[in-house]
Amino acid sequence: MDSITLLLEGFATAAQPIYLLYALLGVFVGTAVGVLPGIGPAMTVALLLPITYALEPTAALIVFAGIYYGGMYGGSTTSILLNTPGESASIVTALEGNKMARAGRGAAALATAAIGSFLAGTIATVLLTLVAPTIARWAVGLGPRDYFALMIVAFLTIGALFGASVWRGVVSLAIGLLIGLVGVDSISGQSRFTLGIPQLTDGIDVVLVAVGLFALGEALYIGSRLRSGQIPLIPITRGWRTWMRRSDWARSWKPWLRGTAIGFPIGTIPAGGADVATFLSYATERGLAKGEYKQQFGKGAIEGVAGPESANNAAAAGVLVPLLTLGIPTTATAAIILSAFQTYGIQPGPRLFESQGPLVWALIASLYIGNVMLLVLNLPLVGLWVKLLQIPRPYLYAGILVFAGLGAYAANFTTFDIFILLILGVMGFFMRRHGFPVSPLVVGAILGPMAEEELRQAMQLGVGDPAYLVQSPFAVIAYVLAIVIIGLSLWLRRRSARFEARLAAESAATSTEAIATLDVEIESHEPHPQLDRGALSTTSIPTARRGLRRRRRDEEPPGD
Amino acid sequence: MTVEAGAPEGAPASTRVLPRAHRIEAMVVVGVVIALGVAALVLTTQIREAGTATTLGARVIPYAVGGLLLVSGIGVLVGQLRGRFGDAEEGEDVDLDAGTSWITTGIVALAFLSLVVTIPFLGWPLGVTILFAASAIALGARKWWVAVLVGLGLGIVSQLLFGTLLGLSLPATGTLTGWIPLG
Repeated sequence: MDSITLLLEGFATAAQPIYLLYALLGVFVGTAVGVLPGIGPAMTVALLLPITYALEPTAALIVFAGIYYGGMYGGSTTSILLNTPGESASIVTALEGNKMARAGRGAAALATAAIGSFLAGTIATVLLTLVAPTIARWAVGLGPRDYFALMIVAFLTIGALFGASVWRGVVSLAIGLLIGLVGVDSISGQSRFTLGIPQLTDGIDVVLVAVGLFALGEALYIGSRLRSGQIPLIPITRGWRTWMRRSDWARSWKPWLRGTAIGFPIGTIPAGGADVATFLSYATERGLAKGEYKQQFGKGAIEGVAGPESANNAAAAGVLVPLLTLGIPTTATAAIILSAFQTYGIQPGPRLFESQGPLVWALIASLYIGNVMLLVLNLPLVGLWVKLLQIPRPYLYAGILVFAGLGAYAANFTTFDIFILLILGVMGFFMRRHGFPVSPLVVGAILGPMAEEELRQAMQLGVGDPAYLVQSPFAVIAYVLAIVIIGLSLWLRRRSARFEARLAAESAATSTEAIATLDVEIESHEPHPQLDRGALSTTSIPTARRGLRRRRRDEEPPGD
Repeated sequence: MTVEAGAPEGAPASTRVLPRAHRIEAMVVVGVVIALGVAALVLTTQIREAGTATTLGARVIPYAVGGLLLVSGIGVLVGQLRGRFGDAEEGEDVDLDAGTSWITTGIVALAFLSLVVTIPFLGWPLGVTILFAASAIALGARKWWVAVLVGLGLGIVSQLLFGTLLGLSLPATGTLTGWIPLG
C-alpha cells in the first residue's frame, strides 16, 4: 500500500541519529513532567514552545510528540505511588493502582500500566496510520461551511464537556474566543478590543495564553494551597522482571485490548477527552470481572489499572486524527501543538499529507519509536522517576515560574508580554479556585480566529445568506452529531460522577489489611516466584512549608 | 441547545462546607465575568464597520462572543444563587483543607512581575535568580542561600542553553550590570 511506503520513508527520516535524540529528549521530558505532580503535558508543551523559534519543524514536532506520549505514561506512576488521600480518588486508575501499591503490589500495577500503555499506544498509532490518510483524502472535498460546522462541534463539546458544569465550561470558552479576537481583524483591517494599546494590535500570542494559564496560573494556585508536611510515597519491590505474575498477565491482556478499542474512537471524536474513555473502560472491566476478582474491584484489581490506562493512551493517539487530518484540536495539548505547527506556517488539515508529506510521516514514525523508548524508560528505569517525585516542592514550582518567564519573554522579547502573562496567570488562578475548566479557554483562543475565517469565507461563498451554512449535508450531520454527543456524554458523566462517589465511599471504608488479605487469598492458589512482595510501609520524604518539620514516621503502616 | 443549566444533579456533592468568604469571592468572580461580557458588547459598538452586504463585518463575531460570555456568566450566577458553587481544582500537591495563603501567592506574583524590571536592568541570569529565590523562599524553601544558588545556576544554565546554544536573544547583562564581562 501507498501509505506503508510513505511510512517507511518516515521511519528512514525519524531513525536518523539526530531525530532519535530529539525523540528521546521528548519522551524523557514528557515522562518527567508526567511524573511530577502539578505539571501536565499541556503545560510542558506550552513551556517548551520557545524551542520552535530555534529548531526546524521536524525536530520540534518530534519533541512535542514525545512529550505528548510521555506525559500519558508518567501520570500513572504518580497516581499509583503517591499516597495523597482523597485527591486521586476521582480518577479510577489511581483508585485501583493506589490500593495495589498499598498491598505491596505497586510493581505489578506500574508494569501493567506501562505495558498496557505501550500496547495501546502502538495499536492506536497503527490505526492512526491507516485511518488518517483516508480521512484526509475524503476531507479535501469539504468546504468552509463544513469546517465551520466541525469547529462549532469542537467548541460545543469542549465547552460543555470539560469541567464539572456546562455553564462554567462555556464561560471559559467565551473568554478564550474573546482573547482570540483581540488585535487587527485580518479581513476588514479594523482593530478590535485593542484598547488603544499598540502592542495589542498583533493580538495576544497563543504562547502567552497557554503559558499564562497552565504554568503561571497553576503555580500560583498550588502555591496558595501547597500541601504541607511530608510526601507519602509507597515504595516498590525491586527487580522489574518479576513484577507481574503469570496470573497478572492472564488478567491484564484482555483489558489492554478492550481499553484500546474503547479509547481510540473516543479520542477521535471530541467527547470530553480521555476522562470519558477511562471511565467507560473501568466500568466495562468491573462489569466483566467474575468471582473473587470482582470482589477485588475497589481493593486493588489489576484489571482496573490495565484497562483504563490503555484507554487513556489510545485516546491520546486518537486525538491526533482530527488534529492532523482536519486541523481541529480537541484537547488543550492538541491546541498548543497546532499553534506550534502555525509558528512554522504549516496549517494541519487535509492537504497536510500532500504538502508536508515527509514531515507528517516522520512525525508518525517517531510516535512508534517513542512508544518503544517509553516502555524502556518506564519499566527498568521507574526508580529514577520515583526519585523525581521527591523534589522539594518550593524548588519545583519556582523552577516552573522561571520557565514561564522564559516562555513569555522569548515570544517577542518584550517585557510587555510579562504583564500580559501575569494577568492571564491571575485569571487562571481564580478560574481554578472556582471550578472553571482552563482547557476550553486555550482551545477557544486558538481555534476561534480559524473558525471566524471559515465562517467569513462561507458567507462570501453563500453571498451573505446564513442559510447557506446549513445547506451542506455534511454540516447538518455534524450539528446533529454534536447534539447527540453532548447529550450522551452528559448522561454518561452523571453516571460516572455517581459511580465515583460510591467508589470513593467504598474505598474509604476498606483498610489496607483487608486489601492485603484478599490479595494473599487469591495468591494462595496462584503461586508466584517472587517471595518478597514488598513491606506494607510508607517512606516519608520531608517537604517544606514555612519550616514545618515533622518527625519522620518511617515504619508506620498507612492504616487510616 | 438541549443542555440543561449548571452541574448535573449527580455530580459529586462538595463535602466541604464553603466558607462565607469563598462564596463572596465566587460571586465577585462571576460579577467580573458578566462585566467583561458587557464591556465586550459595548466595545464592539465602537469597532468601525466597513463590510459590504455579502461579507461578514468585523462586528458580527465580537457581538456573538460578547453575548455568549454574558449569557453563560448569568448562567453561572443563577447556579450559584441556587447554591451550586464550583469546586476548587484538586491536585497531588494541593491541600484543599488548608486555607489560602494569600501572602505566598502575592509574593510569587510580585516575584514574577519583577522580571519586567530585572530583565532590562540586570539581565536574564540575575533576573532568574531573583525570581527563583524569592518564590522558592515564599513557597517554603528552608535555606535561603540554597534557593539563591539554585536560582543563579538555573539562570546561567538557561542563558547558555537557550541564549547561546539555541540562539534566543536573552540579554546576558542589563543596563546596570553591563560592567560584568559576559559579552
